[in-house]
Amino acid sequence: MKKALSKSLALITVMTLGACGETAKDSVEISLPNKNPYPSTYQTPESPAFALIGANLLTGDGAELTNTDLLIENGKIVAMGPALELQPGTIQVDARGQWVTPGLIDVHSHMGVYPSPATSNHSDGNEMTSPVTAEVWAEHSVWPEDPQFEKALAGGVTTVQILPGSGNLIGGRGVTLKNIPSITVQGMKFPGAPYSLKMACGENPKRVYGRRNTLPSTRMGNMAGYRAAWIEASDYKKSWDDYVTDAQAGEDVDPPSRNLRLETLAGVLEGDIRIHNHCYKVDEMAQMIDMSKEFGYKIAAFHHAVEAYKAAPMLAKEGICGVMWADWWGFKQEAFDMVRENIALVDYAQACAVIHSDNPIQVQRLNQEMAKAMSAGNRMGLDISAAKAMRWGTYNAAMALGLEDQIGSLAVGKNADIVLWTKHPLSIYSLAQKVWIDGNLRFDRFDKSVQPTSDFNLGIISAGEARP
Amino acid sequence: MNKLSVFIILLFAYLSASASSILIKGADIYSTTGLLPKSNIYIENGIITAIGRSTPMSADMEVDGSGMSITAGLFNSSTHIGTVEVSAISPTVDFYSDNEAVTAALRIADAFNPRSTLIPHYRVHGLTHALLVPESGTNLFSGQVGLVQLGNQPKVIHNSLAVALDFTESGVELSGNSRAAALVQMRQALDDAKDFSRNRKAAMAGDHRDYVLSYADLAALESVVNGHKPLLVKTHRASDITTILALAKDFQLQLILSGAIEGWMVAEEIAKAGVPVIMDPIHNLPNSYESLGARLDNAKLLADAGVTLLFTGMGGSDTHNAYLVKQSAGNAVANGLSKSMAIAAMTSNPAKVFGASVSGDIAVDQTADLVLWGGDPLELTSEAQLVLINGEVIPMESRSFQLRDRYFKRLKKD
Repeated sequence: MKKALSKSLALITVMTLGACGETAKDSVEISLPNKNPYPSTYQTPESPAFALIGANLLTGDGAELTNTDLLIENGKIVAMGPALELQPGTIQVDARGQWVTPGLIDVHSHMGVYPSPATSNHSDGNEMTSPVTAEVWAEHSVWPEDPQFEKALAGGVTTVQILPGSGNLIGGRGVTLKNIPSITVQGMKFPGAPYSLKMACGENPKRVYGRRNTLPSTRMGNMAGYRAAWIEASDYKKSWDDYVTDAQAGEDVDPPSRNLRLETLAGVLEGDIRIHNHCYKVDEMAQMIDMSKEFGYKIAAFHHAVEAYKAAPMLAKEGICGVMWADWWGFKQEAFDMVRENIALVDYAQACAVIHSDNPIQVQRLNQEMAKAMSAGNRMGLDISAAKAMRWGTYNAAMALGLEDQIGSLAVGKNADIVLWTKHPLSIYSLAQKVWIDGNLRFDRFDKSVQPTSDFNLGIISAGEARP
Repeated sequence: MNKLSVFIILLFAYLSASASSILIKGADIYSTTGLLPKSNIYIENGIITAIGRSTPMSADMEVDGSGMSITAGLFNSSTHIGTVEVSAISPTVDFYSDNEAVTAALRIADAFNPRSTLIPHYRVHGLTHALLVPESGTNLFSGQVGLVQLGNQPKVIHNSLAVALDFTESGVELSGNSRAAALVQMRQALDDAKDFSRNRKAAMAGDHRDYVLSYADLAALESVVNGHKPLLVKTHRASDITTILALAKDFQLQLILSGAIEGWMVAEEIAKAGVPVIMDPIHNLPNSYESLGARLDNAKLLADAGVTLLFTGMGGSDTHNAYLVKQSAGNAVANGLSKSMAIAAMTSNPAKVFGASVSGDIAVDQTADLVLWGGDPLELTSEAQLVLINGEVIPMESRSFQLRDRYFKRLKKD
């Protein structure tokens, strides 16, 4: 090909197939947009092998194991069981009689994009200038020095999905971060984590744009807005598919013009980008599911799903996670039909139940949110163990993010994201004592040298001060 | 909770209608005199008549309280209960006004709706009393603070316990965005109220100088400047707290502080002035430049200095989930506050500070306002098993429970 290629397009050499299935000698160069132009720079720091000895585990995938050892090497859990035989010299952390869980995961956070202090200069979470802003990426708004991150870490949170706000029908890309101190967001990005796209049902987009007398001002306007976007995206995807087909056929074709907004939407249609859909009400969830079938994409999760208990059989059938609060309600009509048993009932219906915070206070105590949701379920006679409740903030959350093969449970081969608690993790009196991410100790309640604080806090917190 | 507890709850619903005497056996009772472990409590016609090991041995309704605990009913000291249904639907919101002509005279209790669909949701989770604090969109003075009881017949117990003033960043914004300007307005209002009090007749007859505030507002401030009614000031920054303490001293006001996120920095000053503090111990984020010093042991540090604490919470859910004041209290204990102090801050302390007809305690000869919890009172896994308000057992019914039961039935069929 003789055409000059844009620097933003990656060259892909494709061996075309001959008519008889043999590899043809001719090769064509197809230029496709780079899908990862802002790559993670995170690398697991090297750390010596160590073992947690004699811990009580809530494994995150539903089990409770007593008096169990965990061996961690190169950032991974490499062995797990009672009385492991350890190499001489392996560092041992005495966890006898203490409780250990996987690192907690918050699949709905605005840390960094709505940081503390909540001043307008850093209010970067909602690009409310057009109802469909699929072209914006939350990671480009994240302020890594947000002091909220370290507070979440002290609450045992090791992975967070940062989402744009819900003012738009399609608000932009979310990003999954490791909750580690870094001067850049790239340094926090979870390597290889799938991108997400934030969509919003209901009151927020129609309120924001209705006030401006532009579409959408109604729920039917919401639907028309999403569908118009998916139609455009389908055409856009086809233009690239056609380009690839033609180029492979040896035709001398130019790549289509890039469109950032449609590129993200096409990424959803291709199955690369996961839909995280703010959607409170069961009737709207059903519409969103039909729409996903109309355009051929999959919804990963409904967030703030206050009515997930009404939708539970639908969620189970479609394999969509319900992402819920334990008890928030009443701030809007769409949040009025709250039941504290929501998470328990979604779980009862064998759908994927996930707890989330959406809030910098709640993210610090996801374990308490699990306790409340478990207790509400048990009050109505459902028999929910602590081990099961722990799934909602660990393994199930990892499933919502598409990362369940790496995080979300204590199992051999998984990332060593681990929390050692001062008491039973579902007790109100319990605090995260030590937090490891990829086998590296990132927080220690009783060692000030392992209590990271952001640049912002210097001069506010005096040197050496531990401020809970 | 096990199936037995579910059975117990159903049993309560059945018995409570007819029970004139209630015996709870073997529960840990948290009273202001201390913890009474594994004790019995006997309630006759709504009055606690005996507490201890040797209470009467039978009653119309008997409950095995072993492994459970009893506290006074929870009291949240900063809410909008009964003055909002859905926050985003402004016709349902009465705690907030942007009427420039109404400031201190506004009585939030006038708008209290005892039939609010939210009230049953609070009481089934152990909240029995709440302070109603108004908010203003135009003035530093937002109005008069009310007290409500959330029993079977919810009612206003007091319609003017204090006058509320907002000296946070959002209050200051209403004064032209300068703390200094806000202070001019405050002093002027207080001076005017004093002047009005001395010259009431002449002023009302139109035979006196003009005031910035209306006569109604000045009349509402009269008992504040005369020291009979507290001024309740919401403020967070340590230096702002100091400023307000000095203002209260100058004008010889009774003062209650609210918010006080940086209170720990000036805890000794607050204690020395004998000023109680309404606070939510959950705040530990530098969420604004007035709360850079936020920390989770604020409650502990204030209590250590001898400050009387009154809790609210949790976080932004202080109205729709006002019973979660218990979660805020539990977090304060996890961060160093004693359990008895934490319980007092949402039971007996507000009762004492506001001197209203709420005991906030578990004691003989008092009307029963109490909660039987499934375990440790602060654990989130300890559900309210039995709630008495004003001596009456309240039914374990709420809109939320009705929704739950309707959909659980459908899920079981699927």
